[in-house]
Amino acid sequence: MSAVSSTGWLYGAIQKRRNRGLGGLYLVVAAFLVLYAVLFPGILSVGGFSKFTQNWFPLALVTMAQALLMLNGGITLAIGPLVSLGAVIAATTMEGVFGVPGGFVAVALAGLAIGAVTGVIVAHLRLPAIIVTLAGSFIITGVALILLPRPGGFIPDWLSNGLAGHTPVAFLLLVVILLGWKAFLATPLGLGIYAAGDNPVGAFRSGVPVERAKVVAFALSGLLAALAGLFVAAQTGSGDPIIGTPFTLNSIAAAVLGGVGFLGGKGTMRGAICGSLLLSVMINVMFFLGFPPVAQYVAQGLIIVGAVAVPELLGAWRARR
Amino acid sequence: MKKSANTASLRSRLLAGAAAAATLLAFSAGTASAAANCIKGDRKAPYTIGWANIYSVPTWMKQTEGTISAEVEELKKAGLVKDLMITDAQGNAQTQIQHIQSMIDANVDAIVVIAGSSNALDRVISDACDKGIAVVNFDSLVNTDKVTAKINTDSGEWGAGAAKWLSDQLGGKGKIIVMNGPAGISVSDDRRKGAQPVLDANPGLEIITETNTEYNVAPAQEAMTSLLFANPEIDGVLSLGGALSAGSVMAFDRQGRDQVPITGENARQFLELWKEKGLKGWATMQPNWLGALSVYTAVQALEGKDVPAFVKVPLPVIDDSNIDSYLARADQFPADGYIYSDYDQALFDKLLAQ
Repeated sequence: MSAVSSTGWLYGAIQKRRNRGLGGLYLVVAAFLVLYAVLFPGILSVGGFSKFTQNWFPLALVTMAQALLMLNGGITLAIGPLVSLGAVIAATTMEGVFGVPGGFVAVALAGLAIGAVTGVIVAHLRLPAIIVTLAGSFIITGVALILLPRPGGFIPDWLSNGLAGHTPVAFLLLVVILLGWKAFLATPLGLGIYAAGDNPVGAFRSGVPVERAKVVAFALSGLLAALAGLFVAAQTGSGDPIIGTPFTLNSIAAAVLGGVGFLGGKGTMRGAICGSLLLSVMINVMFFLGFPPVAQYVAQGLIIVGAVAVPELLGAWRARR
Repeated sequence: MKKSANTASLRSRLLAGAAAAATLLAFSAGTASAAANCIKGDRKAPYTIGWANIYSVPTWMKQTEGTISAEVEELKKAGLVKDLMITDAQGNAQTQIQHIQSMIDANVDAIVVIAGSSNALDRVISDACDKGIAVVNFDSLVNTDKVTAKINTDSGEWGAGAAKWLSDQLGGKGKIIVMNGPAGISVSDDRRKGAQPVLDANPGLEIITETNTEYNVAPAQEAMTSLLFANPEIDGVLSLGGALSAGSVMAFDRQGRDQVPITGENARQFLELWKEKGLKGWATMQPNWLGALSVYTAVQALEGKDVPAFVKVPLPVIDDSNIDSYLARADQFPADGYIYSDYDQALFDKLLAQ
């Protein structure tokens, strides 16, 4: 057996094993998507699909930002404030001299820089990520409120219509970002993020720069969250200093729903993305089923418990056979 | 002869018919041009109404939803409405966008909305407006003007009215405490700003201090209790929210201090304390029936009536002359709820005829 074919075989086996735990979640998400399409056939049109994916897109991005850190054994409570800050920076810089490109650069740099600084504090000062990001969330919220005390600012119409108009640009961007993530995982550093989360000592002994992997994970996470904020600003046509707040909890919920563990190394990005899709499509399905708000609270809880329980039960059933 | 007469009469009848049709056409063209914003005239009764709430849990919201449901029942009886869809964004503006998008997808005829963010809903709401959906926005308003109507009271007048009454009570001089809602919340800011010109005009009124608390009894009572220890002389309380007033009155009571003139809101708890302690009081309200009025306005607009782009609802005032009429109805309202003024279709028609 040649080395190439054996790694190919190994890769396939690993992917199969990683997908197995997600089978139940895939089923639940697929069921919801079918139900949604039955209730609202318009989702199958370009316009309907575009609008639905636009509402899902920022949650998908912040879920990636959260899962990235959880896979590395960390967590962040600063996602929501970073989204707000991204939106605020976008809405305040795009009318400046550097225009839209300047706005993009400013948002991306802010996200990367804040993420990297957080990462350095967590990795090198060895402080718990949950505390550092909690403190960071207050600081970032404050900065966003200073930059833009009340909702406002300016996003050019063409950008809003381009990113969040009647075309599936947001969905295509998500595909591109996921491909980018796949490519990044093929690099030693990308793999190092996983490895350092799963077994930091082992990873270190195998030559993974554990600290650097952590800083990179935080920086990329910050970038994704800030870009989600830029998208939210484009989608709404303005900046709002507190609009991101609910994203913190939702990003954790989506990642956990997607099978990403709190202890690092466990889980997959595709699972997390599926988790975020479930959270998003659930809202629309409950609307079209005509659930009253009180029932929606209950149903939401039941769906989340169910989505976690179904894969477990399937696994138990498979083991018994 | 007979035949020609017949023809003539037929022709004249035809002509008359044509003329009538022409007048009708002109008339309908006239109403079409006078139609309200967003309305295209292609939607026919009975209508489906979407109520996109930002957060359904606070008592004020529950009572508001109650007036909306009641109004929908009325309109159902009249054959004008067939369905009401309710959503609760759980405080998340992003979810509210998703809900309104779903309402557009479900092709509702009207959307009634309290905005979770003054800007975030602008684009999705103008999409709805482009689709000919009647959008009526009340209480917490959006920025865009692409709505059928916005409906609200004036928070500035609230503050001014309260300050004016207190100043009159105290003869324009005395030491007062100002109680505000949370800092950085627009309604709390706006009420306070409205009070300022009146306070400026009465330099005899000395503000000892101001409080910023949640619109809840407990934190307000706590804040006032510590102020009572620090200030032996307080002549009046300018409270800009009902639960704040109730907290203040209870703090005075617990400390055994004589009650002073106090302003407030139609919170049932405050009105009952007012009567029980024989307070000198004044109150106004953000009427819950703004919700019912919004539904009514949307249906009127869909029926081709012209409605004003902004409906300013005058603040109802509660004072010693009419407090009994409010308290007589108290048992119809939740203990932590708001006793709103009576409303009927005649009032709505009057407000829309502004």
